Amino acid sequence: MNTILSLGAILLFPSGLFLLFNGIVYEWIDKKILARQQNRMGPRWFQPLADVTKLMVKEEIVPAGVNATLFNLLPIFALAGPLTAALYMPVGGIRPLLSFKGDLIVTVYLLSVLTIATGLAGANTASRFSLLGATRTLTQLFSYEAPFMLALLGPAIAAGSWQIAEINDYAGNHLLLLREPIGFVIAIIGLAGKLELPPFDAPEAETEIVAGAMTEYGGRGLALFHLGRSAELVLGLTLIASFYLGGVASPLAYLLKTLALLLGLAGFQALMTRLRIDQTVGLWWRYGSLIVLVQWLALFVLDMSRGGGIFS
Amino acid sequence: MEATTETLQRTEALLEPWRERMQTPEPDRIYLSIGPDELLDVVRTLHDARWGYLSTISGIDPSAEDSEMEVLYHFCSGPIVVTLRVALSREHPTTPSVCSIIPSASIQERELIEMLGIDVVNTPDQSLLYLPDDWPEDLYPLRRDFDPAEIAKREPRKHSKAHTDSDKFVVPIGPQHPALKEPAHFEFTLDGEIVTGASVRLGYAHRGIERATQNMNWTQNLYLLERVCGICSHIHAEAYCLGVEHLAGVEVPARARVIREIVAGLERIHSHLLWFGVAAHEAGFDTLFMYSWRDRETVLDLLEGISGNRINYSINVLGGVKYDITPELTEKIYKGIEFLDERVRHYLNVSTKDTMFLQRTRGIGVMTKEQAEALGALGPTARASGVLRDIRVDAPYGAYLDFPVEPVVETAGDLEARFIVRLEEILSTVVMIREMLDKLPEGELTTRMPRRVKAGETISRVEAPRGELFYYIRSAGGETPERIKIRTPTILNLGTVIVSAVGHQFADMPMILAGVDPCFSCNDRAVEVRSAGSDPEPWSWEKLRQYGIEHYR
Repeated sequence: MNTILSLGAILLFPSGLFLLFNGIVYEWIDKKILARQQNRMGPRWFQPLADVTKLMVKEEIVPAGVNATLFNLLPIFALAGPLTAALYMPVGGIRPLLSFKGDLIVTVYLLSVLTIATGLAGANTASRFSLLGATRTLTQLFSYEAPFMLALLGPAIAAGSWQIAEINDYAGNHLLLLREPIGFVIAIIGLAGKLELPPFDAPEAETEIVAGAMTEYGGRGLALFHLGRSAELVLGLTLIASFYLGGVASPLAYLLKTLALLLGLAGFQALMTRLRIDQTVGLWWRYGSLIVLVQWLALFVLDMSRGGGIFS
Repeated sequence: MEATTETLQRTEALLEPWRERMQTPEPDRIYLSIGPDELLDVVRTLHDARWGYLSTISGIDPSAEDSEMEVLYHFCSGPIVVTLRVALSREHPTTPSVCSIIPSASIQERELIEMLGIDVVNTPDQSLLYLPDDWPEDLYPLRRDFDPAEIAKREPRKHSKAHTDSDKFVVPIGPQHPALKEPAHFEFTLDGEIVTGASVRLGYAHRGIERATQNMNWTQNLYLLERVCGICSHIHAEAYCLGVEHLAGVEVPARARVIREIVAGLERIHSHLLWFGVAAHEAGFDTLFMYSWRDRETVLDLLEGISGNRINYSINVLGGVKYDITPELTEKIYKGIEFLDERVRHYLNVSTKDTMFLQRTRGIGVMTKEQAEALGALGPTARASGVLRDIRVDAPYGAYLDFPVEPVVETAGDLEARFIVRLEEILSTVVMIREMLDKLPEGELTTRMPRRVKAGETISRVEAPRGELFYYIRSAGGETPERIKIRTPTILNLGTVIVSAVGHQFADMPMILAGVDPCFSCNDRAVEVRSAGSDPEPWSWEKLRQYGIEHYR
């Protein structure tokens, strides 16, 4: 691949500007739907863009008692994680730019960078709210990362591959939503947990700990975290749409399927009361994990009995 | 009524040893004049017999010339109020602390110390409650000879606040925090996510209202006291009016009495719906918050229809009410409360059935009946723990004599029970308002009120949305009151938070705090205006007034 094309891939599409813009639009749609369900008007279409632009030009204050290098670097990592992951994904319904055997595992790890950066950012400051938020963020990481991963493994087993592009192709011919409904639900819940959306918003519960790990951030740092979060929303939706909703083989399919998922996600947020962090963890490790394992085993047995499968 | 006579006889039997110093100025009031050395004996007698609860401690400094000050301990049980009058020398006012018997008295004793300079011996906490940290020593705002000009002249107090426990993880909530849009400062000590300690500091909006009442005439005070609270403005004015009318011996027309309670009922609905939304928001259930506040607009519109104002309706005057309820308004109110009734039934359904919501309320912040009684919890907070304390039932006043109230009591004592009690109360209030509108008596709205009020003292107790509101009013026969003491329900309910917080998850704190429906505006009633700029002089009333006129010109 020549340099200009690589640069284009990183800066314009599928990563870079396209992803950021896509994230900002989806964030607005999410906010608007949520607001309408809550009997509010909701923001105008340019609000998330205006927020980010404004934050970018604001002064950035480094609070006393922090490691300034880390404080400035973490937001960049938080955005770099999802931007890199986008290169391995069928963003916009176009075949992934990069692909190799096992890229699913790498992508899942790249998607966790945002959370880890958030946790570290909170732990880096001396603020009580940030420290509590960081503890909760990292605790939550352990309670949704496993379900999200297991939920993605289901389709991988069915497709007999660890490569996102191949699973996407396989899913194009088989609607896995019907075969693995539990996995689909768990994936959605895992994504909500990953993005700290209600009811899993304990790490940034404003009535308790203000803005959690983000309390001390303002200006550029906050904007980068914000963009990272929006990008991650798009990537999460893309991943679930391509694995469970029959793949995303064209821009139109991509648009329709991710938007449908976003609609569901917004409704989910409006209906729920925030869970305490112990309840979030308990919900997954007591019930969620068992259900996924059962489904996983069932698939495995089915696969073996057909004489094919992932391990052959 | 028989029950009242029985309680009265029981009380008199209990206080037999002090019989010769007992006075009964009114059928259900007992005054007992005792010395400070006898105080603990009497309090122990009442406490051991489980007689009522310590409602209010109020100190009075009648005049700078007089050599005596007085501290009054008001105990309430049903309609009966027993007042222990402890006379203290002005030179060295010293009284023993009752905290060894009634621990919840601490907060009111702190008020006594800082406002009147009374030495309360052995009280567990002597730190400032309301006054600023740099308030000069030996300057007591409720003493007769207090001169505001002194504040700037004296040496500021040294901050003694010690943050030596650096090992402890302390999380501050307030006075600026998204959970509390009201100024109070709580410090929670945490071990992981578990709360191991809690403390409170008030006074961020202290406006000097109790002191200010002494400089204004009876009518002016009505408008001042309406502004004690931004949510229950009516009930404060009503408590004041009832007290002053009683002192002056004025009979309020029947129509005015009923209109007062209709407005009080609408205010209760408005207050409970507001609380409901806030509590849902604290739990992170914003959808419920948005919907309940939308519906609250209905009741605000009704209040606006009656008085022209949404929050400070200012419907009371001494001797009656200002605004009539016309037939058109009656129709509107019927329609409005009909709609609210339907909505509140839906919310009741949500708060008792929604599994996710119940995870945050059921079994959380439990206060047992014994604890509620011992801590002196009031209003819906007490009623959710199975303690029936409702002044409308215990000691009916105004129109409640003709329209008896059916109290709502739950026994679980957790947050869910508090949701149920408040929502059920909205429903019963709707029924009551309908009944009052059906039987609204004809007649005048006001009656003549004398400019001067006869010398004497009275206690006025009403049921505010948050619990018993207690006014102690004393007149020396002039145009201004000699002393008005306001004890809002929050001050007693706050004590229950500090106790029940320990051992809970930090995430439950905003909910538990909101559970008692705290109102800090009600609590903080006195200020010093110490300007931030170069002008160290406290602002006088004239200067403040002039500033207001200039500002809005």
